[in-house]
Amino acid sequence: MAIITISRGSYSKGKEVAEKVASRLGYKCISREVLLDASEHFHIPEIRLVRAIHDAPSILERFSRNRQAFISYIQCALIRYAKEDNVVYHGLAGHLILKGIPHVLKVRVIADLADRVQAEMEREKISKTEARTLLLKDDEERRKWTQTLYGADPRDSSLYDLVVHIHKLTIEDAVDIICDTAIREPFKTTKQAQQKIEDYAMASEMKAALSDSFDNIGVKSEYGNILVYAKGNDHHIQRIRKKAKEIANKMEGVNDLEVHATQKLPPKSV
Amino acid sequence: MSIILISSDRYETGRAIAQKVAEATEYAFVDREILGEVARNSHIPEPKIRNSLETSSSPLSFSSKVENRALANVQAAVMSRLLDNNVVCHGLAAHLYVLGVSHVLKIRVLSNGDEWASQIASERKVGLEKARKIIKKQETAGRRWSLDIFRRDETDPSEYDMVISLSQIEPDEAVKTIAETVSYRKFQPMTYSIKCLKDKELSIRVRLALMEKYPDVNVTAEGSTVVVRTKALKREKRKKAENIRALASKIPGVDYVEVHVVSNIFRQAAESA
Repeated sequence: MAIITISRGSYSKGKEVAEKVASRLGYKCISREVLLDASEHFHIPEIRLVRAIHDAPSILERFSRNRQAFISYIQCALIRYAKEDNVVYHGLAGHLILKGIPHVLKVRVIADLADRVQAEMEREKISKTEARTLLLKDDEERRKWTQTLYGADPRDSSLYDLVVHIHKLTIEDAVDIICDTAIREPFKTTKQAQQKIEDYAMASEMKAALSDSFDNIGVKSEYGNILVYAKGNDHHIQRIRKKAKEIANKMEGVNDLEVHATQKLPPKSV
Repeated sequence: MSIILISSDRYETGRAIAQKVAEATEYAFVDREILGEVARNSHIPEPKIRNSLETSSSPLSFSSKVENRALANVQAAVMSRLLDNNVVCHGLAAHLYVLGVSHVLKIRVLSNGDEWASQIASERKVGLEKARKIIKKQETAGRRWSLDIFRRDETDPSEYDMVISLSQIEPDEAVKTIAETVSYRKFQPMTYSIKCLKDKELSIRVRLALMEKYPDVNVTAEGSTVVVRTKALKREKRKKAENIRALASKIPGVDYVEVHVVSNIFRQAAESA
């Protein structure tokens, strides 16, 4: 009864590990589904969401509302899946999106560059140099992307509960280790953990809906009470308040809504 | 019948886990206790040896030579213990020089960052933010040390088979995972992996014997054959090779010594200028 996020580089066998873990535990295995869901829910072509979550943003793009909104949509879609529990997610940034949820087992699967190059050469029918260049470029894009959006380096082991190196350890070994860890006490879905993810889902839904019109917004939720934080003058805050009320009226389970002007967004807000 | 090498971002965390793993697997435990013996055999004071395992000085300084000798002695002592098999070794930089041996399981354990920061904050009477900076600084220093001495980044997860963070996972759970993983068949010693370990141990012993006189030598071993690579001026080549051969031949386990001396072009250019 857990949520497992598997972070991986291209051709590092993370996908195979994720699928086998999901099949062994009887969990749902998701990756692209999150993008499809976000695309359908927020009426954005999937390709635009893929670009937003894959390519490193340029300096101008870092502050573009579109990109921030797309990330909020993806975040909202992933949390909606995670709320259902018993999920293995092997797409981008799962460990960062679900940071702070206690029963999420965050795993990174890595493989040696030489093995990855070999796999890419075989699959894409390209030379060793081309394969190596492509992989390094892809790794660098992902690194820049996470650094820009979350201020973290995906290679930093402290972001994960487990890092498994597929070399001496096989895919099957990695599956055994992850499944054994996932059923242990800290990753069991408790009442408090479930409440936390439901609060998180509510906050992310509000954030995604507000992202259409506003940027630099932080949202928190506790037991159905939503707190929206935003930078700006009174007029701007009034506009946000009006829009947030409209959104809250359409959402289920909202008890109360507050909108606050702030200089700095709270660190634990969505 | 395996070897477990445990490294950590914090000495106390790694030691506690390694001790528990040794108890759970009934393996021998190797840690800094061996440094007393290393100090006696090498005539280098123990604090200097401890220091050489933590900081690196400039490669040109006098203390750098002592550090290199201290580290070579530590390596030799660790390798001789690893040959016994069924060993859990914590720290002593073993994860950075025991390479290419299939029955060695390498684990890095990361401390609970929040607990560690709180502990530093209360001990040093500083804020949590400052405590986190202190931890980051220590991590950077450790990384720099491993790169300076062994040209390997000890914070790189690909140096290990597995990295376990204790932020969510309880220490006892981590111990269970390590003990279970080492029982996998691939971590059982095989004739070839034992040979690799023996070759490594012999090459370190030979290097240690040569380094007093020839600190720049590179040594590899295969069976009882040892290959030494070094640099010298053209006129010194033969004498240096003979001296190395004579010294290395005396070491137990060495039957044949091959010495490759290449011209030291930089010294040659400096002398001819």
